[in-house]
Amino acid sequence: MRTNLIQSYMQNNTQAVQQYHSDNVRKNFDVKKELSNRTFIKPLPSNGHLVKNTLFDYPSEFFRVIKDNNKALVHAVKGKANDNELGKLNDLGMKLGGLTIATYLFSRKFAPLAKSMEFVGLVSFFAAMDLWPKLALQLPAYLIHGFDIRQQYRDNYGIKKPVFQDHQFIPWDLYSDEEINKIGDRLRVPKDMKNRRDFIQEKMRKIALQNNTMWMLTAGFATPIMSALICEGLSGPIHNYQDRKLNKKANALLSNFNNEIAKYDFSEKNKALETLLEENKGKTITSELFGQISKTLSKGMDSITASEIAKDLKDVIMQQRGYNISRETFENMSKSLKDVFKGIPENEMNEFIPNADEIISKLDDGKKGVIVSGEMLTNQREFSSFVKVFEDAIDEKLNAFEEANQGNKNVKKARFLADEMFDGMNDGKSGLNKFFKATPTSVLTDSSIQTIKDVNKTLNTFHARQRVLNKYAYLKSAQAQETYLANTWNSILDGDMLKTLNITDKEIKNTRMDSKLVNELLREKFEAIVADDAKYNAVMDKIIEKLNFLEERTKFAQYDKYNPDEKNSYKTYIDTTFDEASGELKSKQMYNTARRLTGYDVQNGVDSHTLKDLQLSFVQDRVRGVKSSFYRLLNTLDFFKRVSDKEHLDSMYEYKYTDAAGNLLKHVQFTRQIKEEMIEMSKQLLLGGHSSDYAVKFFFLRNPELNPDNLTDEQRRILFSDIKTDMGKVVNEFYGKQAFEKLADNPHDRIFYDSAMRLMYTDQLSAKTKGKIENSMFFKNFEQYRQELFSYLGGDEYFTKKNHKVVGGNANSTTEFRFQLLGSAVDDMFTKLFNQKYNGKTWLKMFGGFGAGLLGLTILSQFFMGKMPKDKIVKENK
Amino acid sequence: MILPVGSFDKQNLIFKANDSQGNELPKSDTLLKNNLSTRTRIAMDKFTKAFTVYPARGLKGSINSDFYEFLTMGTVPYVVGSLTLMSVFNSAAKHFEAFAQSSAYKIGNKMALGVVFYALAKSLSKSLVNLPVKWATGIDTQLPYLKVNHQLPESKDDFDLTSYEYHKVGESVEFTRWDLLYGDPNKKGELNKIYDKIAKRNGLGTNLNDSDQAVKPVYKEVLVKSTLARSISSYLWAAAGVCLAAQKPWETYFNVATGKFWDTKNFNHSLKVFGESFVESAKEFYNPKNPKNILEKYSGKGVLALAVLSTVIGVLNTLNISKKPSKVSEKDVMDKNKESVVG
Repeated sequence: MRTNLIQSYMQNNTQAVQQYHSDNVRKNFDVKKELSNRTFIKPLPSNGHLVKNTLFDYPSEFFRVIKDNNKALVHAVKGKANDNELGKLNDLGMKLGGLTIATYLFSRKFAPLAKSMEFVGLVSFFAAMDLWPKLALQLPAYLIHGFDIRQQYRDNYGIKKPVFQDHQFIPWDLYSDEEINKIGDRLRVPKDMKNRRDFIQEKMRKIALQNNTMWMLTAGFATPIMSALICEGLSGPIHNYQDRKLNKKANALLSNFNNEIAKYDFSEKNKALETLLEENKGKTITSELFGQISKTLSKGMDSITASEIAKDLKDVIMQQRGYNISRETFENMSKSLKDVFKGIPENEMNEFIPNADEIISKLDDGKKGVIVSGEMLTNQREFSSFVKVFEDAIDEKLNAFEEANQGNKNVKKARFLADEMFDGMNDGKSGLNKFFKATPTSVLTDSSIQTIKDVNKTLNTFHARQRVLNKYAYLKSAQAQETYLANTWNSILDGDMLKTLNITDKEIKNTRMDSKLVNELLREKFEAIVADDAKYNAVMDKIIEKLNFLEERTKFAQYDKYNPDEKNSYKTYIDTTFDEASGELKSKQMYNTARRLTGYDVQNGVDSHTLKDLQLSFVQDRVRGVKSSFYRLLNTLDFFKRVSDKEHLDSMYEYKYTDAAGNLLKHVQFTRQIKEEMIEMSKQLLLGGHSSDYAVKFFFLRNPELNPDNLTDEQRRILFSDIKTDMGKVVNEFYGKQAFEKLADNPHDRIFYDSAMRLMYTDQLSAKTKGKIENSMFFKNFEQYRQELFSYLGGDEYFTKKNHKVVGGNANSTTEFRFQLLGSAVDDMFTKLFNQKYNGKTWLKMFGGFGAGLLGLTILSQFFMGKMPKDKIVKENK
Repeated sequence: MILPVGSFDKQNLIFKANDSQGNELPKSDTLLKNNLSTRTRIAMDKFTKAFTVYPARGLKGSINSDFYEFLTMGTVPYVVGSLTLMSVFNSAAKHFEAFAQSSAYKIGNKMALGVVFYALAKSLSKSLVNLPVKWATGIDTQLPYLKVNHQLPESKDDFDLTSYEYHKVGESVEFTRWDLLYGDPNKKGELNKIYDKIAKRNGLGTNLNDSDQAVKPVYKEVLVKSTLARSISSYLWAAAGVCLAAQKPWETYFNVATGKFWDTKNFNHSLKVFGESFVESAKEFYNPKNPKNILEKYSGKGVLALAVLSTVIGVLNTLNISKKPSKVSEKDVMDKNKESVVG
């Protein structure tokens, strides 16, 4: 019997057909039965069903998606994929592209949070794409209309599709009457309606279509905004996690110090050095070879240390600095003249050039004897005698030739060229040098090689240890984003600081652009706080909490760098690293290098200007800058409090100067005018003074008339009266009352300067402050800060105000140290914080607000969906 | 991506495929020529409707709203999303103080440029697959046709509602519009003209009795494989576009960038700097100056290599056609001239 195409279709299990087979369909299909009962053309039994996943199905769904994607990819590569599979691959391409972007941007960022956020951004974007329709459309629609507008189904071939994807082809048969009627009830479709199912279906279709359209219209706005908001929300927890991880990582460097060192591989360097030494063993150490050895040995070291190593190496392996002179030297000299006399006819040239013997014959007897006997003159450093004999030999030849050939111009030329050559000798430019320096006397002996290898071993160990220490110091305190110290700063200077100081968003908005405005605002706030003990106590509590936190997190930098018994592990490892290396280097006569590492005397503390000191100071310097900034805030608040309570303002009232024996040499009582000026200046300086203000010993316009004459008794009484304060502010009687043009800075009043410094930094703390902080972790450090600031900044000398030094001050400090000690100005610190907060809030307000609005609008739109024309209901009801 | 259109008039707003006179609208589905002009007009038509007619119909819940309209509306989130993404990174910055503002704009501008480059690279890179495939196999995977839809009346006033949609012959590998590739059966040699050409180009033979049957499996395989190549490579090129936009030298361009084309001097200068920044950024992308680690040094090259490789492998895979003409023997094929009953 001849088969027809349908049979051929069923029998030939061709590849193109296979993919459309569902196992179940095949299993239930009996060709003979279908043909025999003549009902062949009819729909195949449906295997489609609605997909009803619960939360527990997500893991299996997840793996199913991966499996389906793999299958789709394999099919597509072979050219057998269907439309659904190709659609999946488009999504795969999109994710692959996203991942590529994130990986690339990850490679270009260096701060851990920024790096992570590239991937968080990518994932959040896809998450937002998926979440938005679920959250803003699917869920509200389900709650309001009672059915899932994103309902999925599996068709006969097991392919998952949304039911309402194509409104012209909705597989309604997958919903049972019961399900549809239930939805109808929720949609408030009259129960006694004719063709109720059709009506409900139409309503559902409409709602789903309207939702799909809303999805398309809103997704463009929602996805990027939602993604950004997710990132914003996640950045905090991720940052905290990374901070903990970073600290652990840093601490692990020290706790596994030896393992960490072992990670540094010097085999390449060792091999290079070994080869170099083996190849040149027994050979003279030419400057080129020396350069190679020293460069290989100091690979990875900083340039100063490298040059010290070179210096030492020269002493150690090139003890004989001179060069060997042999017969060959003179032969080469003679040969070289051919180049010098270039241009002179050869026959004449030969007459001009003395041969080696002729040059040697000019040497003094001692040297001549050695050369003639075939020996070498060793360790020669001075070459002038050899130059002299060379010069004489040439002269002799030229003179002889000139005598025989009167008027020959080439002789003059040769003489000129020879002179030129010898002239170059003086400034080292002459090529002659190379003949003398051709063979250095020092050779690379076995013992030199051993020394170099020993030094190399020491340097490798030192280098590895130093790198681990550097890594630790970087992670903990480098001036970079997201180091442990930077995170500490950001944690302290956070939004709750603003809340504590009662600073509102509006105030931030109005002042953030200018630190002067911030200064004024802070002054108002501080004055209000100190006027109210309850408020002051609350602020103190917050600041104590923050400073304790700071103290806790900066313990790693708390060590006495001059104490050899210090237990801090970073300091201990530094001691071991540097002292051991230095000791070993010294034993190999590498004194300059040892000095570079640890200075002259390792036993008695640390020499400054050494690598060891740098390593010890780096961490402490960085921490000092941070701590000083917050101590300054505390000191400022305390000063405001003292002024408000008129407490411990001793230096404002009088100035006493005593000699060493305690005899009073000078005693000045300040007028109210000066007191007011001093307080005003101190307030301004504490809030906004920079290191330059302290360096120039303050520029402050005051009334130059310190002691006005012709005052009435009443005026005199007022002039010597005490200051008045009200609500934290000074009620000025004098300050600010004079015309501006009459004011002047007084560069001669050192007492005013000295007293102001004492008022700010050495007068006792307010009892309220002291009561609060004296049991804190940082009290001692805070006291030390005040003392150091007074001493080092006050003791500094400024050339135009030479006498403006506090008594007992210490002038021995660097600009950098003074800068760190002063810390950040309070107004600068808050200006930055204001901007940071304002920028974040503005963004959040703008897009968070927009996102919330969009979400509200989208949800609201549900109530306008699925409206059916009235006439249709009536018509259907007939 | 929408290509710039110099001018179009009201007449062209509803694009007509075969209207040399500009009067007759096609009554049935019609194959269109795949050229720049057609593509531009189709893109324009779809873009306009995606923002106007289709959302209006969708929101109304129209009975005639179909999957094509839904898919076409996909342009809306794409365009709006791009603009929003640019805005997310730029809009708030104007409220910032100068220093933060300049830092924010540096990132924001690069992001915005990245969005533009993403779209450009994704769109243009598709030709890297389409053109070689077309040259080598003669199969135009992007061949467009005009679909005429006779719609249902939505109210009693509606009659003869017709809508026009722009599809591609090969947009579905399961329901490829083979019928549109046939020529006029009444003219000799016209019926299978397109199939003949493809068969010849692919070495299936000439003067075949049923070139269509021989070509269809090949055609389908090419459609599947080229779609795969396009899907993967276009996103990788798009990624390369974003990475290119993330380079530092663009900051020079952002300093002088202006859209005010009437200010000829500054506009020309801005274009010139754009070119220079493009070259510098490309160099930096490929070979970064002072890379801090190996990943940074090679990541640019890696992204480019990924894009190039995905295109090359994708195209080579497409051209490696495995489908052969049907192996069904002569005796198994029904004789078309004999009467037969089905069912």
